[in-house]
Amino acid sequence: MLLTFAMPMALITLFAVVFGGTGGGKESRKYDLLLCDLDNTPASHHATAQLDSLKSLNLIPEQLENAQNLIKKGKKDAVLVFYKGFADSMVAGSALPVELQYDEAKEAEVGLLQQSLIPTLMMLPFSDLGNIPNMMQNRFDKMMGNAADNKLKNDMHAQFDSLYKTIGKGVSSKKNVSADKGKDVAQSFGMGSEIKMTKLVSATNDNSVGLVQAVAGTAIMMLLFSVVGIGASLLDEKQEGTLKKLLYSPLHPNSILFGKMIYSNCISIAQLSIMFVYANLVFALDIYHHLPSLLLMILATAYACSGFGVLLASIAKSRQQVQGLSTLIVLVMSCIGGSMVPTFIMPAFMQKISMFSVNYWGIQGFYDIFWRMLPFRDTTFLSRILVLALIGSVLNLVALKMFNKNILKMT
Amino acid sequence: MISVSNLKKSYDSIQALKGISFQIEKGEFFGLLGPNGAGKTTTISILSTIVEPSEGTVSIAGFDLKKNPAECKKTIGVVPQEIALYNELSAYDNLLFWGGLYGVPSAELKTRSEEILKLFGLYDRRNDKVKTYSGGMKRRINIASALLHKPVVLFMDEPTVGIDPQSRNLIFEVVEKLHKEGMTIVYTTHYMEEAERFCDRIGIIDDGRIIAQGSLEELKKSCQMKETIVVSFVLLSDTIFDQIVSEWKDLKRIENSIHFYSSNVKSDLAKIIIRCSETGLDIVHIDIQKVNLETIFLSLTGKQLRD
Repeated sequence: MLLTFAMPMALITLFAVVFGGTGGGKESRKYDLLLCDLDNTPASHHATAQLDSLKSLNLIPEQLENAQNLIKKGKKDAVLVFYKGFADSMVAGSALPVELQYDEAKEAEVGLLQQSLIPTLMMLPFSDLGNIPNMMQNRFDKMMGNAADNKLKNDMHAQFDSLYKTIGKGVSSKKNVSADKGKDVAQSFGMGSEIKMTKLVSATNDNSVGLVQAVAGTAIMMLLFSVVGIGASLLDEKQEGTLKKLLYSPLHPNSILFGKMIYSNCISIAQLSIMFVYANLVFALDIYHHLPSLLLMILATAYACSGFGVLLASIAKSRQQVQGLSTLIVLVMSCIGGSMVPTFIMPAFMQKISMFSVNYWGIQGFYDIFWRMLPFRDTTFLSRILVLALIGSVLNLVALKMFNKNILKMT
Repeated sequence: MISVSNLKKSYDSIQALKGISFQIEKGEFFGLLGPNGAGKTTTISILSTIVEPSEGTVSIAGFDLKKNPAECKKTIGVVPQEIALYNELSAYDNLLFWGGLYGVPSAELKTRSEEILKLFGLYDRRNDKVKTYSGGMKRRINIASALLHKPVVLFMDEPTVGIDPQSRNLIFEVVEKLHKEGMTIVYTTHYMEEAERFCDRIGIIDDGRIIAQGSLEELKKSCQMKETIVVSFVLLSDTIFDQIVSEWKDLKRIENSIHFYSSNVKSDLAKIIIRCSETGLDIVHIDIQKVNLETIFLSLTGKQLRD
């Protein structure tokens, strides 16, 4: 019943939420965007206010260095920078010194951000602070380069002035021009690609974000299935009477569980290591770049995952129960934790929920190593190790308690 | 060797043991008999330290079970009712594993394992996986695995359930050998003939209480049980039966048979045959039913042992 009906329904619900269709709601998703205003002028304040009024954006003012660190550590996706000279450019009608710095791994998310940003930014020169004729002339000069002589340029500038006198006042006097209208006008002037896009975090070696996601996500999900199998062997022993026979021996009951934990950890470490070696051999994943970090992350992930397996075995009454429970829990945890779908394309609340899964911390840790290239001593990386160690310890402690309780019940 | 005093065990609202007491001397073969649910397994589980008693005291080989369970565990060997072995391991590897848990040194363990395999007639198949063994062979290894650390006390919980006669006889031989060597053995079984054959003393447990204990003779005496001479006739008239009743008080008629209860079968049997001949009764069958554990058990508990 669980596998036939409950699990598919749970997965459908999760995937629906992940991909944004939360029960037919029309509300669009809100994206966090860091904003760094280096110009700090009325023009940049006006631009900030315009962006802040967008329902799809949640602007977070931040210092440039901090913002870049947050992106490098995977905590934020992108930062929009208004450089010094923003106001001058508005007046001069030249290209705005605006840059969107982002993590290449979040390209899907950044693409959606662009969709929100471009119409508003393209409308800025058409505001009272802008200079449309200058902008049009500059745009023409840029397009023509050295191809046009001064006479042609002057003629064209005169044409633009004439055109502006005819329609420009109309455009600038309309205070409530819709974003779509503005976008259309901007695009008609060929102004659609003025934001400078800079990849702050990008592949500096052979590791692609897709490869890191595939290896880390799959390895952790499969590891969870493996450790559940190892944990369930405890229930086999219970069923076959060997657990009872072990209890007759001078061994302390807890040492039986510790034995399983150690075995589970060893298998987990071996499995993760082999997965990464395989990825290195077949897909050229650069595992040697930060070998100490990788080993530490493998140890922490194996510890957390094996704790999960032993806990499941300790709370279940039979192997069948473990199998049903584990399939459901592992799939759901893998789904919300980013093994099946990267967490950065999930809605904000799902990203928060994903933190309750082992998968999330493990995958993020492997992203830190292979994608963000964080050093071994980086606090963000170490914090993920700490969280995994804590998860493992808590799971193991609860498993120990439940194991003792179940032994008493069994005998 | 074993002292049990006022032992009680409750599981929620169910009182499995209601205060049992018994003593087992060193080298004694003690049988624990009782129907299913009487409390045998609970008693064995407590004595083998995997269940904590609710009340009462137990000491094994001078060690208090509550205060020193680890020492008690080293002293005892337990043969559980179920066959608890690792099927993917060979018999030899199983023995090495189980013996290793008791801290037997490696070299000694290997020698001891080989000796025990020979004792149980499994040396030739020592390297075969246990999963390829018959039920009887597995039972033998199950017992063997409890002997590697040379326990002073051996608990055997129904060790011969569901096995072939060959294995059963081999187990009997080993058990008798161990007993002769001075091992203290606590044995639970459903089979009366096993208890009668091996046990120096027997404790009969029913509904969480020991209702009788002693040697077979002591139990017979305490139950004041008589043997039964069953005489079947071609025809038994009421008149003739009335005559016999007037001369022999302790009897019971069942159709054309009379059950005579006797404390001295030899002399009473002769008297019965002579008297029947005098009255002209034609005897077709004579059966002597001796007092055994089954009848004692039935008399004490009102239940068959296998109930």
